[in-house]
Amino acid sequence: MSSTLLFRKQLFQLPPALRKSLFSTASTITNPEIYDVVCIGGGPAGLSLASALRSNASTKRLRIALVDSQGLNGGKSRDDAALYSNRCSSLTPASVKFLKECGVWEKVEKQRVQNYHGMEVWDGVSGSSISFDPLDATSGGGLLDAVGELVPGNRFTASRRKYEMGDANMVATMCENQNLTNALLEHLRTLGDVDTFDRTKVDSIQLGPEPVDEKSLNLSQWPIASLPNSRHLAARLLIGADGANSPVRNFAGITSEGWDYNQHGVVATLRLDRTFNPEDLRTAYQRFLPSGPIALLPLPNNKASLVWSITAPLAAKLKALSPQDLASMVNAAFRLKIADLDYFLKHLETIDVADELSWRLPNTSPTATGLPSSLPTVTAVQEGSTASFPLRMRHASTYTGHRVALIGDAAHTIHPLAGQGLNLGLADANSLAQRVTYGMEHGMDIGSAWCLDGYNGDRWAKNNAVMGVCDKLQKVYSVGSGPVVWARSLGLGLVNRLGPLKGTIMGAAGSA
Amino acid sequence: MASLQLQRLLALPCSVRALTLQRALAASKLQSPTLRPYSTTTQYPLDTTPPPNNSSTTPSPNNSSVNQTEVSHFNALASSWWDPHGSSRLLHLMNPLRHDFVQRCKATEGQQDSRKLKYLDIGCGGGIFAESAARRAHTLSVTAIDPTPEVIAVARKHQRLDPLLLEPGRLEYKQIPLEHLPVPEEGYDIITVFEVLEHIRQPSAFLHSCLPYLKPGGWLIGSTITRTNLSWFTTKLVAEDLLRIVPRGTHDWSQYIKPNELFQWAKVQEELEVRQDGVGWEVMGVVYVPGIGWREVQGSEEWGNYFFGVRRKVDST
Repeated sequence: MSSTLLFRKQLFQLPPALRKSLFSTASTITNPEIYDVVCIGGGPAGLSLASALRSNASTKRLRIALVDSQGLNGGKSRDDAALYSNRCSSLTPASVKFLKECGVWEKVEKQRVQNYHGMEVWDGVSGSSISFDPLDATSGGGLLDAVGELVPGNRFTASRRKYEMGDANMVATMCENQNLTNALLEHLRTLGDVDTFDRTKVDSIQLGPEPVDEKSLNLSQWPIASLPNSRHLAARLLIGADGANSPVRNFAGITSEGWDYNQHGVVATLRLDRTFNPEDLRTAYQRFLPSGPIALLPLPNNKASLVWSITAPLAAKLKALSPQDLASMVNAAFRLKIADLDYFLKHLETIDVADELSWRLPNTSPTATGLPSSLPTVTAVQEGSTASFPLRMRHASTYTGHRVALIGDAAHTIHPLAGQGLNLGLADANSLAQRVTYGMEHGMDIGSAWCLDGYNGDRWAKNNAVMGVCDKLQKVYSVGSGPVVWARSLGLGLVNRLGPLKGTIMGAAGSA
Repeated sequence: MASLQLQRLLALPCSVRALTLQRALAASKLQSPTLRPYSTTTQYPLDTTPPPNNSSTTPSPNNSSVNQTEVSHFNALASSWWDPHGSSRLLHLMNPLRHDFVQRCKATEGQQDSRKLKYLDIGCGGGIFAESAARRAHTLSVTAIDPTPEVIAVARKHQRLDPLLLEPGRLEYKQIPLEHLPVPEEGYDIITVFEVLEHIRQPSAFLHSCLPYLKPGGWLIGSTITRTNLSWFTTKLVAEDLLRIVPRGTHDWSQYIKPNELFQWAKVQEELEVRQDGVGWEVMGVVYVPGIGWREVQGSEEWGNYFFGVRRKVDST
C-alpha cells in the first residue's frame, strides 16, 4: 500500500506529458480499469448508496469508484455554532432509519439537528387548517396520513407504525445538508476502499470497445467513464447520482419529462423571538398562499429555516431586501390577510415593510387568517443566508437501463413544498442497495435487468405518486379565489372524514 | 448395457429432448410414450467406447448424442437464452430460488464451515445457473457440462461479457455428456440437475450415475415437476398450449416424477444419507404466479414444481 503511494508520488513529479502517457498505458479505453460500481455524483444520494453498499456484508467487497466534480473532503462545519446553512432538509423517520442502519447517523452533529413533533398547515385564503398533532392519537389514516407524508413534518401511518416506537411522536428531523454530507463522507472514509475521484469532471461516457477476437473479454456493452488524466473506468453498474442534468441519464438515452413552475424557492435562516430547549416539542408551520406556500421549519435554539415558494420576479425582489425587511416580510406573509400581503408584494420597493406591518398586524384577527397561536415571530434573518433556486418538476421515464441506474435528482426533481426531494433520493439509494445485495447473494450480474428491474419496480411508481400529489397540491393551492378555494377549505376541514377513501387512492404515497 | 444407454439419454439437455418430443407430437399426434415414433434412445448407436479424450472438442457425428435435426431447431432457442424477455425468462426468474434452496440444504448440516464450494452443473444449457453460481462469494469453482455444442457456444459467448467469470478456474464449460466427465479425486460439493428429470424416462438410473461425482457429505440438488392432474393442466395445457409461455412440447407429463417416489429411491441408495425421518432429504415446492414471479408455497411439491436435495453419506467411499 505504501509502495503504491510512493509510486504515485514519484509519478506526480514527472512532467505532465510523460505522466499522462504513463497513465494512458495503465488504463486505456481498450483496456479500462474494471469496477463493479461507478457512482457519478457525490451528493447525499450517491454517498448514501456507497455507504450502504460498503456497510453490508454481501456487498462490501464490491469495487466502487465515486466521481464528483466538487471537492469531497467535506465542508468545514461553521465555526460559529449559532450560524446555520440555508440548505436544510426535513428527513423523514424512514430516511433517518436508513442512515442509522448504514452507521451514518451517529456521525451527524446532533446539536445541529432538530426533531419536530407537529405541523401546522393552513390555507391563506380561506383560513381553514389541518393540524398534524402527533399527540392526537385519534386521527385516522387516509388522506391525512398521505398528505402528512408529503408536507415536511408529516406523520403517516407507516412511519407511525414502524418508526415511532423508537422516538415517540417524532415526525421529522431538520438537518443541514452539509451536516449530512460531512457525516456520509466521514463514514465512507472510515469504511475505506472507495476509490474517490473528486474535483473530477467526467470527460465522456461511452460503451466499451468491440472484443479483439472470439476468445477475449467483451466489454462492448459496458459503460466506460473517461476521466481527465486518461483514466477509464468500466462499470458493471453505472450509477447516475449526478443531478437534474444527469450525463449518465443522457448516456443511457433515458428521457426526463416535466415542466418548470415559473417559481423560485427563497431560502434563509431565521432567528425567532423565542429560544427552545432541545427537549421542547417543536412545530413546523406552512401557510398556503396564492403565490406559493411559505414554510418555517425549526432548527435548534431560536433558529428556523425558511422555504418560500414565489414567482421568480418576486423572489428576486425578496432577495434584494435587507435582512431586517425580509424578516418583516416573512412575518407579514405568515400573519396578514392576503389582500394586505398583495399590497406588500406589489409595493415592495417603495414601502417601509416594518412600519406597514406594525400598524396592520394589530388590525388583523388571528381567527380570520387561521393563524396558529403557537407561531413564533421572526426577529431577524441571518446575514448572507438568503438565496433562491428555480422550482422544477422532472421525472425520468425509467430509472434503469443495461448497466445503468439513476438515483436522486437524476431520476426525479420535485417541487420542494413537501420537502421530499432528499428523502426520495435516500429512499432510492436504500432500495437500490437492497436490490444489489439480493443480486450479490443470488449470483446475479448486478448490472443486468434481472437485478435492476426490482429497483425500478420498487421506486418509480412510488415516486411518481408522491410527485403527482405534490404537483397537484401546488396547482390547487395556487388558485386565489373561486370554487377551488371553497373546495379546498372544505377539503382541509373534512379531511379526516374523507380519509379512508383518499387513503386508498393515495396508498402508494403512504408507503413510499 | 441398458443403463449406459439410458445415461447417454439422460445427459441430454432438456431442451433438445423437448424439441424431439415436439416434432414427434406434431408428426403423429400420439401421446403414449411407448408409441412415440422417435424417442431419443433409439436414435443413437450404442457406442460404449468413450471418445479418445474428454476435452471440449466437438464429438464426431458417430459419437454425438445429439441429433442434427434437433440441433438446427435448437439454434433458435439458443440465441434467446439470455434475452430477458425470451423463452428462458421463467428459468431466469426461478434462478434465485435455486440458490436459496442450495443454501437451505447446506444449512441442514449444522456447523457452517467457511470452505468454498465446488459445483458441477449437469445440463447447464446457456449457463443461467452456472454463471450465477460462479459469481457467488462462497463458490470455489463451477464445472458446467452440456453435450450440445450450440448451447455451450452460447454459454461461453455470454461468459466473455463478464471479466469476473473469466478469472482462471472460476467457471469452466465442457461440451460433453456426464459419462465422459472423469470422476474427480475429491468430488464436488454440489451437483445440480435443474429442470432435467421431467424429460427422463428412468430418472433413478440417471441420478444414480451422478452419485460417484459427489464429495462425501456433498449434495445432489435438482428441480422438476410432480405428476398430478393439476401439473398436467398447468404445465402442458396452460403453460404450453394456452399461454405459450413455455415452448410447446417441452414437457412429457407421463415422465414427471413425484417427490415421494424420489424420496423412496433415495432412501435405498447406500451412497446416500437419506433416512426415513427426513435427514439428508430436502424438498421445497414452488409456484409461478404471473406478475409476481416464483414463490415458495408449503406443500406445493405435491402438485407442482419442486426442488429436491439428497446428501451423500459423510463417511462413504
